[in-house]
Amino acid sequence: MQTTFKSSKWLPYLLLSPSIIIVFIFFIIPGAESLYYSFFRLNITGTKKYFVGMNNFVRLFQDSEYIGSLVLSFSFTVCVVFFGLGISLAIATVANKKLKLFNVYRTLLIWPYALSPAITGIIWALMFDPSIGVITNILERVFGITFTYFNNSTHAVIFITITATWKMLGYNIIFFLAGLQGVPGEIIEAAIIDGAGKWRSFWRVIFPLLSPTTFFLLVMNTLYAFFQLFGLLHVVTEGGPGRATYLLVYKLYRDGFISMNVGYASAQSIMLLIIVSSVMLLQFKFAERRVFYGT
Amino acid sequence: MSGSRGKVVEALVESFNKEFPAIKVEAVYSGSYAETVTKGLASVKAGKPPVLLQSYEVGTQTMLDSGAIIPVYLLNKGEVDFGDVVQPIFKYYSVGGKMYSMPFNSSTAMLYYNKDLFKEAGFNPEKPPETYDDLYSIGKKMVDTGIAKGGLSLGWPGWIFEQMHAYHDQLYANNDNGRSGKRASEVLFNKAFGVKILTEWQRWSKDRVLFYGGREYSANAPFVAGQFGMLMQSTSSLGGNIKKSNFDLGTAFLPRMSGYPKGNSVIGGGSLWLMKGHSDEVNAAAWKFLQFLFRTENAITWHKGTGYFPVNNKAFEALIEEGWFEKEPRFRTAFDQILSGKSTVAATGVLLGNFVQIRDITQTAIEEIVVNMKDPKAILDDAKAKSDQVLKDYLSMVE
Repeated sequence: MQTTFKSSKWLPYLLLSPSIIIVFIFFIIPGAESLYYSFFRLNITGTKKYFVGMNNFVRLFQDSEYIGSLVLSFSFTVCVVFFGLGISLAIATVANKKLKLFNVYRTLLIWPYALSPAITGIIWALMFDPSIGVITNILERVFGITFTYFNNSTHAVIFITITATWKMLGYNIIFFLAGLQGVPGEIIEAAIIDGAGKWRSFWRVIFPLLSPTTFFLLVMNTLYAFFQLFGLLHVVTEGGPGRATYLLVYKLYRDGFISMNVGYASAQSIMLLIIVSSVMLLQFKFAERRVFYGT
Repeated sequence: MSGSRGKVVEALVESFNKEFPAIKVEAVYSGSYAETVTKGLASVKAGKPPVLLQSYEVGTQTMLDSGAIIPVYLLNKGEVDFGDVVQPIFKYYSVGGKMYSMPFNSSTAMLYYNKDLFKEAGFNPEKPPETYDDLYSIGKKMVDTGIAKGGLSLGWPGWIFEQMHAYHDQLYANNDNGRSGKRASEVLFNKAFGVKILTEWQRWSKDRVLFYGGREYSANAPFVAGQFGMLMQSTSSLGGNIKKSNFDLGTAFLPRMSGYPKGNSVIGGGSLWLMKGHSDEVNAAAWKFLQFLFRTENAITWHKGTGYFPVNNKAFEALIEEGWFEKEPRFRTAFDQILSGKSTVAATGVLLGNFVQIRDITQTAIEEIVVNMKDPKAILDDAKAKSDQVLKDYLSMVE
């Protein structure tokens, strides 16, 4: 028996409504509120406010700390994305073999992704602890390097980059693995028959076929590096020493929630939205041209 | 409160709840001081403030101006004699001779040192350094002989920087540190004295005498592990440090820099604020709890468990009578320091609007100087400009 489905004009809206409501409550309304507050200066309890026009934005670009944070965030993002994608692609390629316990390995590989950034921070902070850390002790005994991430700005940046990259590795590897498994064997065979070496067939054949995955991961990792590292920073370096690891999200937090400069922090969140959207736009405009989605 | 301090708080709350079954006090840990002040004030806007809020000394001006508090002197119908509060503590938390918040965990900074390392380096363990120069040479020897990773570290570096101003009778902000009846509108920490202190610290750091150990209490762990010989830290770490160190721990006055006048170390730590927005009945219950904490035996428990000052004189006298300080002379050091200092305007403690942010600015500046080795004068000038802007914004909202 065939059931007929009477289409209603309202049905699509009804089905979409849960997500729309969530988006409204958690994204659109707070976002609009931020936009509104970015034109005001508020007192500490938030009971008084003065309209200051674009003053918060003007100040932002006169604030050497903000400019520093901007530059730092960009370079940090580039590092995390570059190393993150590079290392995971290498691991995925090596792991892409017909191994016995493939599913087990795959599950293990994604574990780091399940950790919250704060927990990741604690784990790595323990390993890099100046007195009891495993890694610091190895560095000191074997290489004679004293590594103290809260005592040395360069070390702090290296520490944060390693930790942040590691946390995304699992996620990246899983996607690369899925991508690699989707590459048809006969294409590679054909390439080898045509005389391409392993290296050549990888870069000329496999890598282009992986481009949708790579592009997707590029976008996800960029968003991750910009937005999701607050917990990590908060637990390990608190933006320091000095302003060494003061990424945009962390400055926003300090200004908004510690210094209670709600207007100024709102302006920063609006700027952050604009910056990240522009980065995304550029990526879609330029990087996506090189993506091959197959025929 | 975090760590071993938190456990003492819980025990006090528990015994209060037992004694007053009609009242239920619940102590909630809400993160660092800075976060607690922020959350507490944000909750005012949301209409759900806590009944009592524990704020650190840095939050004092902000709390006073917030319009969200009930001064405790208004509740006092003679149950508590504020004249009993230890003088320097009374001075810190009162405005115009009236008590605005209930002193609870008051501390100051002092020098902790590792007597074992002193011996090993060939110094008399009963002769802690009295001056900056002594401290430097002791620390230098510890590093040079390789017995320690560093000579000295600082807990709460921004606060120690403020302490140094008070200790050498130097103003930190204008309008008598914001206590002249007019709020402070300008900080003075980039003057010759501030630059001098940080230039010293930077030199120590270059020679690895100063081991920068991070903010707040994070330098305690490497200190009790014996990684460096000395630590300038809050007295509130005394209980914990004694428990955790497996060496002979000594305490001493903060070392002085020669050539500057004598002031006093300043009161730090926190006090309890009664928040608006609750029924009279709840306020009365909160007042009961504050009285309970002020009671001699509870002030004593608090002091012994942590190293914070017992805030009232009666408790102090009872401790002397009991022979506590003979048994535990290290708990006396901070008292002697604060009672032997000169009570000057600069040593009463700074009141600044949005001090939370200014503390953050100076803390960062210190790291730029002692970790990233930037020019002290330039960094302090920059920090002053930022702080003055904060004060200007603050004043524009409250005046």
